[in-house]
Amino acid sequence: MLEKIRYFIRRALRNMRQWPVLCSAAILTMAVALATMATFFLVVLNIQGLATNWSQEIQVVAYFKTPPPRNQRAKLIQQVEAFVDVNQVVFISPTEALKRFSTRLGDDAGLLEGVSRTLLPASLEIRLKSGSHSREGVERVVAELKKDSRFNDVRFGQEWLERFENFVNLLKFAGLFLGSLFLLAALFIVSNTIKLTLYARRDELEIMALVGATKRFIQIPFLLEGALQGFAGGLLALGFLWLSFKLLLEKGLHSFWLTPVGFDPIFLSTEQQFMLVFSGVLLGLLGSLASLRKFVRL
Amino acid sequence: MIQLFNVTKAYGKESVALREMSVHIEKGEFTYVTGPSGAGKTTFLSMLYGASRPTRGQILIDGINITRMARRQIPFLRRKIGVVFQDFKLLNSRSVYENVAFALEAQGKKRYEVSKKVYQALKEVGLEHRLQRRPIELSGGEQQRIAIARALVVDPLILLADEPSGNLDLEVTLEIMELFKRANARGTTVLLATHDNSLYQRFPKRVLGLEAGRLVMDHQP
Ligand SMILES: Nc1ncnc2c1ncn2[C@@H]1O[C@H](COP(=O)(O)OP(=O)(O)OP(=O)(O)O)[C@@H](O)[C@H]1O
Ligand SMILES: [Mg+2]
Repeated sequence: MLEKIRYFIRRALRNMRQWPVLCSAAILTMAVALATMATFFLVVLNIQGLATNWSQEIQVVAYFKTPPPRNQRAKLIQQVEAFVDVNQVVFISPTEALKRFSTRLGDDAGLLEGVSRTLLPASLEIRLKSGSHSREGVERVVAELKKDSRFNDVRFGQEWLERFENFVNLLKFAGLFLGSLFLLAALFIVSNTIKLTLYARRDELEIMALVGATKRFIQIPFLLEGALQGFAGGLLALGFLWLSFKLLLEKGLHSFWLTPVGFDPIFLSTEQQFMLVFSGVLLGLLGSLASLRKFVRL
Repeated sequence: MIQLFNVTKAYGKESVALREMSVHIEKGEFTYVTGPSGAGKTTFLSMLYGASRPTRGQILIDGINITRMARRQIPFLRRKIGVVFQDFKLLNSRSVYENVAFALEAQGKKRYEVSKKVYQALKEVGLEHRLQRRPIELSGGEQQRIAIARALVVDPLILLADEPSGNLDLEVTLEIMELFKRANARGTTVLLATHDNSLYQRFPKRVLGLEAGRLVMDHQP
């Protein structure tokens, strides 16, 4: 058994050495296909990461018609905090609002001198639970708040949120679509490359069949070869991805988002890296299986 | 060892390569298969090792009906049969040793067993000093001897040779005939297809004569 496995591996390796051009062509094709798919995956992963990061910032602001009396504030906050989607509520008094405004004005804060302390309305700043950072979550909270006549106006980045969600959905769809397209293309190219190597070795296949080799005996080294090439292609793709991640994404993102967004670009997790290489092996196996079925007829 | 019952092989409607052929060949026999070009010699031999199937009729080899044989059983039939062709069918990318070892490896033989047998088989044909050469570097006669070593290394019950000396001169042909006779003397049934009449005048043996797909002669010396 062990002897047989060693024999098959030896034959697969020597076949690869014997046809270096075809072998590297197969490896490169798979590497390109896998790297393309993985790049797309990585981009979607990062944009989603960025999106969740941003959506932490989503909050609903409800402005009061008239500032509520001091003794009612705690009860009001409790009421709103009891909503399923709400995490935390902060009361902003007109004084507090004015103070914030003046800090934002910075050097121009002098403009506000002499202005009434109740110029700005009092408001509630409502932070949502992490599961509710979606359009639906925001809309539920807003609908609840609008029932209360004490609020004058309820603000939230609805339009922005909607657009962003659509964008992420589009990206996911495009990733899935292009991903499967690339997968098919890779499978096709790999199976044809392997068909080419089989064609180059048809004498060998014929003679093996002639001296009484079973179908499986003939096929196993080729399958092994496909798997090995897929493995190499997967590793190559991973290396390429990591390099371009280091060079482009990490540096590029940092200079692109001038202000630090508190978001570090994500690379594939260990499991995802493993999956990438494993997909290579699978791709090679399937590719050689597809062409062998047509080629090795006894 | 080999029994044919009313075997017909047709390629399409027009071309019939063998017609109603019936013949018995005993274990250990040496038999020539002769006839003009297109008579059906190659077709006859190719059916014996399962490269093609008869259109009608039955073929028994070593008591087994190979016309009913499942496809995946054919490799096991071929392990009992050595085949030699006019064009050698050697791999020029492999060494002489590897070419002969191929037949044993295909049967899943152990490595030490392979090297021992390959050496013996090459010694038998007088090429043990050419182990690491490529077939293409050798003469036609030497190449055919490698092919014969490959056919005989598995100790086959039957040796089929289709015009083995078609490309070779008389001296080399005689060397090769010597190898076949020695294999035959050890008990291997030999079938040799040729249209070279001088061979069976020199080494009289049973002759099957084919003409246009019909067995027209079965002559024992
Ligand atoms: N694959 C095929 N398809 C169609 N016809 C075939 C095929 N193989 C052989 N034939 C026909 O069968 C007949 C017998 O051919 P075969 O090759 O057996 O003759 P042969 O006696 O070996 O001839 P040669 O001495 O030239 O080798 C010929 O008429 C040939 O044209
Ligand atoms: Mg012929």
